[in-house]
Amino acid sequence: MNENTLTVLVADDDVTNRLLLEAILRKEGYDVIHAEDGREAVEVFERERPDLVLMDIRMPELDGYQATELIKAMSGDVFVPVIFLTANSDIDSMVKSVEAGGDDFLAKPYNRIQLQTRINALMRIRELYSTVRLQRNELIQHQKRLERERQMAKRLFANIIHTGSLDQPNIKYLLSPMSLFSGDILLAAPKPSGGLHVILGDFTGHGLAAATGALPVSSIFYGMTAKGYSITEIVTEINTRLKTILPVDMFLAACLIDIDTTTHTLTVWNGGLPPLLVYDTRQLAISLRIPSQHLPLGIIDGESFSRRVEVVGIHQGDRIYICSDGVLETQNRQGEMFGQDRFDALFESKLAPQALFDTILGRLSDFQAGSLQQDDVTLLEICYDQSSLEQRAGTIEEEAGGRGRLSAAPSSWRLGLTLTADLLKVLDPLPLLIQALMDLQGFRGQRQQLYTVFSELYSNALEHGLLKLDSSLKANASGFVEYYQAREQRLAVLSKGEIRIDIHHQPDAGGGRLTIAIEDTGNGFDVNSALLPLTENLGHAGRGIQLLRSICDEVTFQGSGNRVEVVYRWR
Amino acid sequence: MPVTSTVSASGKDITIKITGRFDFAVQNEFRDCYHGTSPDDGVSFTIDMHKASYMDSSALGMLLMMREHLGGNNANITISTSSADISNILTVANFQSLFKIS
Repeated sequence: MNENTLTVLVADDDVTNRLLLEAILRKEGYDVIHAEDGREAVEVFERERPDLVLMDIRMPELDGYQATELIKAMSGDVFVPVIFLTANSDIDSMVKSVEAGGDDFLAKPYNRIQLQTRINALMRIRELYSTVRLQRNELIQHQKRLERERQMAKRLFANIIHTGSLDQPNIKYLLSPMSLFSGDILLAAPKPSGGLHVILGDFTGHGLAAATGALPVSSIFYGMTAKGYSITEIVTEINTRLKTILPVDMFLAACLIDIDTTTHTLTVWNGGLPPLLVYDTRQLAISLRIPSQHLPLGIIDGESFSRRVEVVGIHQGDRIYICSDGVLETQNRQGEMFGQDRFDALFESKLAPQALFDTILGRLSDFQAGSLQQDDVTLLEICYDQSSLEQRAGTIEEEAGGRGRLSAAPSSWRLGLTLTADLLKVLDPLPLLIQALMDLQGFRGQRQQLYTVFSELYSNALEHGLLKLDSSLKANASGFVEYYQAREQRLAVLSKGEIRIDIHHQPDAGGGRLTIAIEDTGNGFDVNSALLPLTENLGHAGRGIQLLRSICDEVTFQGSGNRVEVVYRWR
Repeated sequence: MPVTSTVSASGKDITIKITGRFDFAVQNEFRDCYHGTSPDDGVSFTIDMHKASYMDSSALGMLLMMREHLGGNNANITISTSSADISNILTVANFQSLFKIS
C-alpha cells in the first residue's frame, strides 16, 4: 500500500451502495475498506485507522450517529472527517448528524464529482488541522522546557543571591518583583569588624536580563564584605565590573550603606535611587535625608567615577529607609504616581515607629487599589539596634576563606611589611593582609578575631600616629562624624610617615602563637591614659584598647607609645 | 507624532522634540533621529522635553546610547525641560554630569 494513498472506510448495510461507492473511490485512487453495520464500522475503524469515513445513517446494531460519536471519541485530537450518506437532506437528520460530530453530507444518488470535491475540501481541513496540532504540541513542549529552565534558574539565583542576613528581627523588607525574576536586588552581609553592609539596587528594565546583572554584584558584595573591604572599595569594584559587562543602555541605580556599631556611624553611597531617609524615633520625624549624589553604576569608569561617601552619626532606635523608584512610581487607577511627597507625608503622622513599615505597605496597596504593578518594588527598613547588629557579626560565615590551606599544621614563619604614606593614601591594606594570613596559615574560624585585632592596631597607628587625630573628639556620636571627616582630609594630604608591621608565628601546644607588632613614625601617645582602669575609660575612644585586651593574651605599648605589640594564641 | 526632529539651516543643530511619554515604545523613532550622525560631524543636539509628560529608566538608557553613538564625552547634547518630574528623574540619576541640562 502506498504511504500517500488515503484509506476510506465505507459503512453501509446496503451491499449495492457499498459496491457503487467503492468503485467510484477506487477509480479516484483511494484504498477502500468497508463495514456492514455501525458496530463493525467502529471495530474496523479501531483496527485500520482510515483517513476518512463515509457513514450511512440507518444501520443495524449501531446507527450512523452512534457509530460516529464513538469514532470521533476514538480519534482524539486527530481530525478524521465523517461524511454522512443520506437519502434525503431533511433538516432533522442534518442537525442530528452535526450533533454526532459529522462533517458533511452526501445525498443519493452519488455523483463522482460531488464526492471528489467534498473529500478534497475535508482533506485540506485535515491537513491544516494536523499542522496546527503539530505546532501546538511543539509550543507546549517548548513552553514546558522554558518553564523548567526558568524554575531552575530561579532556584540557582535564589542560592547565589541569598538574602540570609536580611532575616533578622530589626530588618523589615518588601521585595515585589513584577515577573518571576526581579530587576531589583537587596543584599545584606555582616562585616568582620562588626556591623552590616547593605546594597539595594534597581537595574534598568525587568525580568531575566535585569536579574542576570545581579550575579556579579552579589558575588563582589558578599566576597569583599567578608574580606573586610569598605563600601567605597566595593562600590568601585561593582561599577568597574558592570561597566565591562552591561550594554550601554543598561545600568544599576543603587544605594550602598555601611552601618557601623563600633563608631555609631552610617556611611552611604547613593547613585540613582530615591533619597535614603533616617527616622528619629525620639522626635518622631525624619532627621536625615541623603539624596542620590552619583551616576548609577555601570555608566562611567575610571577617574570620573565618584566614590565619595557620606558619613553621618546614628542613634540607637533610629530607623533607616531605602526604596527603589518602583515604590514612588506605584500608580493608581488614574495613572497618577505615589510620589515622594506622599511618601514623606507618611513620616509626618507621628506614628509609632514599629507601625511605620506596615503603614507604608498598607498606604501603597490602598493607593494602587488593584491597578497593575508597573515596576519591581523594593522597600527596606533597618532599625539601628546595636545589640542585634553585633550579634549578627558573630554569625559571619567563612565565606572569604575558601582559597587558603584549609587545615595547615601550625608552622613557623615571619612576615614584615612597611607601608609608606603614598600607599596608605590609596589603599586599605587590611583586607589584603588578612587574606595573606589566611592563605599562609589557614586560621580557620579566626578571621573575625584577627580582623578586629589588625583593624584596631592599624587604625591606632594611622589615625593617632600619622594623622594625629584627637580621640577625645569621639566622646559623642556627632564628634564621630567630625573625626572621620578630618581623617579623610588629613589622609588625602599625607606626605610622609610609615607604618611598619611585623608578624611572627610559632607553633604552640596544638595551635599557634601569633605576635603582631605595629609601629608608626608618629609621636606616640600618652601610654598612661590608655592604661587607665576600664571603669574610667568607657567612652567611644577607649573601646579599641579594651577590645584588644579582651581578644589578645598580651598587649604592650613600647617606645613612646608608637609601637604596640600583641600576642594572640589560637588552637 | 511623539518624536520629531528638526535640522537647522546650517545642518549643525538638530532638535529632537518629545511629546507625551518618553519610554521604550519610542525607541526606534528616537534612535532614527541621531543614527545618521557621526561624532565627527560636529552636530549639536537639543532634546526638547517641554512637551514630555514622563520618562522612565529605559529612556535614560536611550540617552546613554545616544551619547555613546555621538562620541561619549565628546558628544554635544543638551536636554531642555521645564517639567519638575523630569528634572527630578534626571537629577536623581545625576545625568547633569553627562549632559547639559537647561
